Amino acid sequence: MWNEYLQLMKAELMVTIILFILLFLKLGKKERETVPLLHFINILLLLNFISGFLYNAEGTLFGDMFHTSKLLSLEKNILNLGTLIISLQSFQWLKTHKHIPEFYMLLLATLLGMFFMLSSNNLLMFYLGLELSTIPLAALANFDLDKKISSEAAMKLIISSAFSSGLLLFGISMLYGTTGTLNYHELSQQLSGSPLQILSFVMFVAGFGFKFSAIPFHLWTADVYEGSPVAVTSYLSVVSKGAILFVFVSVLYQAFQNIAGVWYNLLFIISVITMTIGNLFALRQQNMKRFLAFSSISQVGFILIGITGQSPEGSASVIYFVLIYVFSNLGAFGVVSLVSAVTARENIDDYKSFYKNNRALSWILAISLFSLAGIPPTAGFFGKFFLLLAGAGTSHISGEQVNYLLITVAALNMVISLYYYLRIIRAMFMDGNDHPIDKVKASLLPNISFIICIGGVLLIGFAGGIYEYIYSLVK
Amino acid sequence: MIFEFYMTASQILFYVIAAFILGCGLLAMTTRKIFRSAIWLLFSLVGVSALYFWLQVEFIAAVQIVVYVGGIVVLIIFSVFLTQQSGTEMPKAPVKRTIASVFAVLFGFAFTYLLIYKNNFISGEGTFDAGISKIGNQMLTTGEQGFALPFEAVSILLLAAMIGCIVIAMKTSTNQAKGENEQAANTNKK
Repeated sequence: MWNEYLQLMKAELMVTIILFILLFLKLGKKERETVPLLHFINILLLLNFISGFLYNAEGTLFGDMFHTSKLLSLEKNILNLGTLIISLQSFQWLKTHKHIPEFYMLLLATLLGMFFMLSSNNLLMFYLGLELSTIPLAALANFDLDKKISSEAAMKLIISSAFSSGLLLFGISMLYGTTGTLNYHELSQQLSGSPLQILSFVMFVAGFGFKFSAIPFHLWTADVYEGSPVAVTSYLSVVSKGAILFVFVSVLYQAFQNIAGVWYNLLFIISVITMTIGNLFALRQQNMKRFLAFSSISQVGFILIGITGQSPEGSASVIYFVLIYVFSNLGAFGVVSLVSAVTARENIDDYKSFYKNNRALSWILAISLFSLAGIPPTAGFFGKFFLLLAGAGTSHISGEQVNYLLITVAALNMVISLYYYLRIIRAMFMDGNDHPIDKVKASLLPNISFIICIGGVLLIGFAGGIYEYIYSLVK
Repeated sequence: MIFEFYMTASQILFYVIAAFILGCGLLAMTTRKIFRSAIWLLFSLVGVSALYFWLQVEFIAAVQIVVYVGGIVVLIIFSVFLTQQSGTEMPKAPVKRTIASVFAVLFGFAFTYLLIYKNNFISGEGTFDAGISKIGNQMLTTGEQGFALPFEAVSILLLAAMIGCIVIAMKTSTNQAKGENEQAANTNKK
């Protein structure tokens, strides 16, 4: 019996063990050398990532409250990978920070929350996982301890996430009132699409919308991204958002399959607004982090297209896209993080003539941005291709024809997004600047992370087996 | 019959409690002194616990009083005293905003009332047992209907929240010390 617990909850137990190792490290001695400590923590995270590939099993525990499968193990491992890359990239920033064990404890607590959320079979466990994955993040956003803007970001994050949790909880409580169950399987049988259930579902989606910052629930995003330390920003925009999207897909496809006609229209509208407005705002940003914030909002719009597919393809394309998104977005954030840690410059204008002194970093940023824009040789193209394919093959449930309107809007938006991604590339390679950023030296760990990111961006698109593998797990 | 509709004592009690909760909530929103608004909130929460007593879930009612009345409202009052000038009146809301909010409230009320009224609720089966020993047993059971996993998840959440609080709170003390040192240095220079 204990074997079962150990094997099925392996991912969660690994993260918890690392968390407690760090806790005891912190409690043990007063001052530690930061560099060996960071190396040690990174090795632990690497072990955690490797262990995600071993001995994966399927099953349920705790009276159907917790379940796991090969697919969930894969999703958890994508999140592990994202956390590892971010940890490698934040080496430069953390080297001088006083609270390294605390930083990782909070980070791992949020990761644990995401794992519980992914594995939940039950709205209660889902809600607890969600809280566990957002409340420590607010503390993390405050980790530039002597900057006011960082405190402001934390404040905005905690208030907006409390508000969205309120909406979500109200939705959940009304669902419970009308169906009498919190379990996904029973919920899917009990849902009849009565007006009260639809209202509660709308609140449910609004809560989700806040968390993955779809428009009109995006207002916190840019401010929080700008104020937080870059490591936390990239964690918010990649790992946290990826986890929420995974959960969103599985909850919609499992628990709310009965009212698919309702959420198809809802997602259609949100997706169109999110893509368009996200892009239009991204056009006029001057700060690199704000720019990446709006770019990540518009990426969510594209992901929602894939979700409207209501098919195994939809689910597989979302997971595939998030995997690629981890590499391409973290490549971009890695460069911004490094430059910000060394020179404290974050504006797009500062990046003019970046190529003059930093050839390798310019190429890394350029390739990542190409991938985010979805230009063919990079993996981002394949990710968006599968998303649109899943969205275009829609509606065998709601019985509509292929939604050409949605695809047309998406195509137009890809053109707009190309403009602003290329604007940064132009600034780096072509624009002149009197005071270009000096040569930025990266240490070993950030360099490893860049190699992983660029390798992922360039190779995943051509390794066709990956999408096939995800698709076989989803089916 | 003279009375088209008549109510049992239990129903009357329910409406009295509900009116109490709503009235106190309304006063908490409209009063212009922030300290009074916290006190009205306290009464509103006491009303909610009365509602739990009315439902005969005594344990939940006790938890409501201990956690919300005893804990959270006291916390709110502390933070009001620490940050705000609790005696001063806040500015009056503009008339436009008042009208808009009245309409919003009326719409929200009518909307939810209609939805709930039209909904067919399924009545539950079996007896409802919310005794303390039952709750305690379920909290620590790992099998069917057990809540051991959420219980553990909450404990990790509390640990993380504590760590986060300590880090952020430690920051202000060191900053203040630094700031005070600088101030002291400046005054010395002068």
